Formats: sequence, structure tokens, C-alpha cells
Amino acid sequence: MNRRQTVAAIAGLGLTGGSLWVAQTGLPGMTSRSDTELPLRVETLDARGSTAGETLVPTPGTVTVVDLFATWCAPCDDQLEVLRAIRSEYDDVSFISVTNERPSETFTRADIAAWWNRNGGAWTVGLDPGSELLAAFGAGGLPYIAIVDEHGAIEFGHSGLAGTETLRDQLDPLV
Amino acid sequence: MQRRSFLRSAGACGAVTGLAGCLGSVGIGDSNPDVVLEEPERRFESSDVPYPAWGEPVPDTTVPAPLDSRDVRLRDIETPSLLTFFYSHCQTVCPVLISTQRNIQAHAKNNGYGDAVSFFPMTFDPARDTAQRLRTYAEEMNVDADSENWHFLRPASKQRAKAVVQDQFGVAFQRTDPEDMDMYMFTHAALTLLVNADGFVERAYRSKSPNEGTILADLQTVRTA
Repeated sequence: MNRRQTVAAIAGLGLTGGSLWVAQTGLPGMTSRSDTELPLRVETLDARGSTAGETLVPTPGTVTVVDLFATWCAPCDDQLEVLRAIRSEYDDVSFISVTNERPSETFTRADIAAWWNRNGGAWTVGLDPGSELLAAFGAGGLPYIAIVDEHGAIEFGHSGLAGTETLRDQLDPLV
Repeated sequence: MQRRSFLRSAGACGAVTGLAGCLGSVGIGDSNPDVVLEEPERRFESSDVPYPAWGEPVPDTTVPAPLDSRDVRLRDIETPSLLTFFYSHCQTVCPVLISTQRNIQAHAKNNGYGDAVSFFPMTFDPARDTAQRLRTYAEEMNVDADSENWHFLRPASKQRAKAVVQDQFGVAFQRTDPEDMDMYMFTHAALTLLVNADGFVERAYRSKSPNEGTILADLQTVRTA
């Protein structure tokens, strides 16, 4: 490749940097909110505060904090700690965390549950192996926090770590 | 197609087949016998972009696979394969690119076609991405690096990484020294390639977070064709 092509490559593909674990969505429209209808039914895990089965996300008729995470995403550990810190202040709010990791023979549901317990998770945790929730929320990175009101309207969406004050500011008017 | 790149394409094969014979093979026709998937909707030709794109052969290059203790010649791969380019200290795009490959690896294993697809994530940071580091990284990312179908590739030197990743695959990368970090990083382009068993690019996904469902569907079409 000659120099002109290299320059074109930089301009054409766009360079990526920064220090957040943000997964930018690539093509506008590929992950638009209209692609998938919420709520979505997801499989839930047997872990602390969670039982194996399935649940709708967001929780119908309830203000819901949806935390999209992956076990490889270091700031997702921190996000869990933030959620744990405020959860007791919002008894009427449903908290649910969902990973888009696909369980396999070598990385099982039990491994995800172990990560969950180790990081202090204490509410419903589920699986979204097809990344349908990410698409439905138009999530632009991990961690991704969405807050949905009791009518199912998405009131807040945030890529990257969301702090306690940010979450309180969003939740207080809804509850 | 731009005139300049048209001339470049025509020049490249005109000597062999003459201009008329060339047109079909540079993508002006609707189909290409070398690939299964139809040409993607886009406003350019494959020859206009620096990376190998739809219908083009994978670069003829050989790169060490340190965890397998062997060299891989990409044109010799006999299954459909997914290639991507990363470095393990990356905290932004690479974990997403790798986790997408990892989720597809899991899907293949779970659905009984694990031996019908291969994964070749190639680092462009050989200085830090040693075999041991790649093994640790695989564990962090929950990749089954011991599987027959997963092969980390590592050019032997910085110069070789430039030659292969940047010059042959058109994936630009540039070292940076962020003030808030105590190590160097890279800015880099994002590219995931789906290559068929004959060594031709079926799809070049340029997204920083490739759509897993799209790749799974494309892969199914390619491997069952």
C-alpha cells in the first residue's frame, strides 16, 4: 500500500482512541431502537438475587434500571458497585443486568454467575446472546445503563460508567 | 467507480486478459464466481479501498501463530474464516472486536459447526503481545484459545506488523502516548473480514462493534454454499 492509500485508510475508516471501554455502534440504523420491540424476553441465571428462568426487560409496569454488561469489561465491575450503592434507596424500582456474552462449554452460565456473585450483584441477571437488547436500546458501549419508566418509555440511556448522582437525578423524578 | 481506480484495476489485469476480460473481474458485473455473497450495497468498488474487500483475495502472507508454534499462510486456510486486527492492551474497540469473534466461536461450538470456521485475530503490537500475554488475554476474554479453530496471529516484529497489518490489510494504526496513561496505546481502524474457504473476502465489516447477527447469517450462507 502506498502512502496515499494509508492516508485514505485513516480518513476512510476513522481512528479510534480514548480510554473508555466504549463500543461505538458502527452503522447508523443497524442498532436503531425501532429494529426490536421492547420489552424483550431474556433468559435469567441462577445467581445471587436471581433465579434461573426468564423475564421481560424492562419489567412491565415498573420503573426499570437496565444494566448491559460483559464480564470482560472492567468498568462494568464498577457499574455494578454503583448500582449496588443506590439500589436500597429505590425499593420500587426494578434492577436487571444483562450480558451479551454467549455461554459455551468453556465459559458457562455458572462462570457468569460466579462473576456476578464475586462482584456483588444481588438482583436479576440475564443473558442476551444475540445482543438484541443492545440493539433495542441503541446501546453505544459497555457498560450501558438505560432507565425505563413504568409505561415502557426509555427516559435515559448512557454509554460508559454512570455515577450515583447521575442515576439518582434520573430516577428521582420517576418514582 | 473513480476513473483513477478504474485505470488502476484495468492496468492490473489488462495485460493478462485484455480490457474486456477484465471488467467482470473487477466488480463491474453483478456477481463474482469467487464469492458466495452478493456484492454489498455501497458507493464504491472493492478496488477503491485500501483493505481487501468483497471478491478480492486475502493477501498472500504468512504470519506466526505463537500459541500453535507454527506459521499460518492465510491463503492455505481451508475453512471459512474470520480475521480481525487488535492489540491486547486496547481498552476501547479491540475487546469488542475480540468478544464478537468469541461469541461467534461459542455459537459455532454450541451449534455443531466448530470445525467449519476458523478465527484469526492478528495483533499489531508484537512487542507486548507475546504468546504468554495472548494466552492471558484469551482467559480474560473467555476465548477458548485451545480450540482447534482459534489462532492468534503475531507478526514477528514491529516492522512486520506495519508491513502486514497496515500495508497488506489496509488497517491503519498509529502509536499514541496518552497523558493519563502510563503505557503507550494505538489509534487504529476497525476491520473484521469474512473470508471463504477459497481465500476470497466475502465481507469486510468496518464497524467498531460488528453486528454479530449479521456476521452469523453471512457465515452460515458462506459455509453452507
